Amino acid sequence: MIRKKIPRRRIILGLMVVLLTLVILTFYLRHLTETARLGLVERNLEVRLSRLRDEVKALEAKKAALLSLSRVERVAREVLHMSEPEPGQVIYGTETGTNR
Amino acid sequence: MKSSLREPSARKINTRIRFLQAGLLAWALILTGRLVQLQVFGHASAKAEVLEQSRSRSEISPERGTIFDRNGQILARSIPARSIFLTPSKDEPAEARQRTIRTLSKVLGLDGEESRRVMDRIRRSEPFVYIKRKVSPETAATVEALCLPGVHSHPDTMRFYPSGTLAAHILGGVGLDDTGLAGVEYVYNGPLQGRKGQALILKDARRREYYFETLAAAVPGKDIALTIDATLQYIAERELAKAVRETQAGWGTVIISNPASGEILAMASSPTYDPNSYSSAEAGAQFNRAIQLTYEPGSTFKIVTASAALAHHVVGLKESFDCSRTDLGFRGKPIRDHKPFGILTFPQVVIHSSNKGMALVGRRVGEVSLHDMAEAFGFGRKSGIDLAGEAAGRLQPLSAWSGRTLPALSTGYEVAATPLQILQAVNAIANRGIMVPPRIVTDILDPDDPLKRRSPTLALQILSPEIAATMTDILERAVDEGTGLQARLSGYRIAGKTGTTQKWDPALKAYSEQKHIASFVGFAPADHPVLSVVIVLDDPQGGSYYGGEVAAPVFREIVRKALLKLGVYPEPAPAQGVITASIWKGVRP
Repeated sequence: MIRKKIPRRRIILGLMVVLLTLVILTFYLRHLTETARLGLVERNLEVRLSRLRDEVKALEAKKAALLSLSRVERVAREVLHMSEPEPGQVIYGTETGTNR
Repeated sequence: MKSSLREPSARKINTRIRFLQAGLLAWALILTGRLVQLQVFGHASAKAEVLEQSRSRSEISPERGTIFDRNGQILARSIPARSIFLTPSKDEPAEARQRTIRTLSKVLGLDGEESRRVMDRIRRSEPFVYIKRKVSPETAATVEALCLPGVHSHPDTMRFYPSGTLAAHILGGVGLDDTGLAGVEYVYNGPLQGRKGQALILKDARRREYYFETLAAAVPGKDIALTIDATLQYIAERELAKAVRETQAGWGTVIISNPASGEILAMASSPTYDPNSYSSAEAGAQFNRAIQLTYEPGSTFKIVTASAALAHHVVGLKESFDCSRTDLGFRGKPIRDHKPFGILTFPQVVIHSSNKGMALVGRRVGEVSLHDMAEAFGFGRKSGIDLAGEAAGRLQPLSAWSGRTLPALSTGYEVAATPLQILQAVNAIANRGIMVPPRIVTDILDPDDPLKRRSPTLALQILSPEIAATMTDILERAVDEGTGLQARLSGYRIAGKTGTTQKWDPALKAYSEQKHIASFVGFAPADHPVLSVVIVLDDPQGGSYYGGEVAAPVFREIVRKALLKLGVYPEPAPAQGVITASIWKGVRP
């Protein structure tokens, strides 16, 4: 039995086709996994962003509570021992100068 | 021969095969029929049974909109929280459940009643039981770390009022399900609330495990900006609390507004409550007396009578009235003055708040004109402020007037008004005769349409600017030389009117000599008003009960601080004993 010799060119072409298919498949798989990975990262970031927004809102509310005038006055009077100014102690600034 | 022997056997086999085939076919038909019965006819019930066993849907509360003051300060905000719930397993022994609840009671601080409520619901085999709503995320994390069987938490929000009692009656409060129950929270519940979402909770076969998934995201509510200035609100509340404490008044209320725009800058009532715990506040404290309470305004109503007299040209500014007369009273309510007067001019009648003089002015005005003017000033109907539960007050129709209604109404009796209505009346004077409806909300902030603004309100000219100016002069003199002396503020021009009302005693069926309502209403600066204030104090104790002595000093303190906050500084007092002259430089023309 005489085996017909396959032309080298055809072998190379075949190998190239197989290689190209593998490359395309690899790229496709890589693309799929990367897309899924990025989607996951995006989702995680969205969740994190949402949590941070909630945290900012909560912190803003906490800041408002700490800056509430009743608390500020209590701290001023009880901790810093401040008192209301006597009449005449307040000097009002005007465009032309000061006004006691 | 061979074939003839085989034939009966083959036929027998074929017959058996046919029987087998028929049997299999019947079995297949039965199976198919059963499948059709289960999956077609019984689909709905089977599906419902499966869903009931494996999953349940729950609503996700949307994040409620934030309420800001006019300067962007947060007055109410929903902050993230978590709600702890239990999905009891039928297989779990009762002792284990009780152990779980005991552990949770310690961590969550449940009292005995709350623990019993949870246990009762578990005994009723409820598939979903809330242990505690709206706990902090940190507390929820502590609970989750315990890994108790069937105990989980889901995201929720908690309404938080960072300034505590500040503007409690304006803000109102919300219930456990974040629905507005009073105040702005109630009136603007729709835009504040947003739209609910839906979540899916999956359970395992033993109904222990679960999976929380959002099916439809909740749409957050819109933010609202109020006309309130938090600083002015604080000043009003502080001064009111001080006045109520010092005078031992039963209750008190203060409103600060901008006469030109109708914007309410502050509205305070005492007693008050903390909206963070609205449901546990007393009903008396939740009552917004600024708009929900009506009282006989007394002398502050003389503004209406005097305006009617000027508008109908029935009195002149130099015209005099005999205020020493004793024939002006009527049975049950004699008309008398707080001190004896002789002859007073029309402005002096208002300035010194003479009841006798005003009764005589009322006679000149007449029933129809006085009724019409009171109606024009908005008495007897709601002002239309965007707060819930506003009272309309009472202005009797002319057909119901008796012989004593005219003198009584002229002096502020036989009419029921809210403090806001009295303030609106003086606002019309301050605003050159134009009455602007009051409002508490500036804008509903729509993120989809950030430039959208509320349409302007309709204002009515109820007095001519000349009459309003005359009334302003008279009210300014009432503060400078009349009953409102204690409202005088150095460096400012103040216009105002005192009011002292005898309260009706139902037991005596007469006006009480001991119980009074003291009030003061005014605006500042008189020549260019930036704010108007009304103060009402119920039954002040400790000697003085006159509006000029009890309410006017509160007005002065509020106005002094509020004007400084608004950047309106006192005019410098002219130097005493110094002669000033301008120095002329240059060449005379």
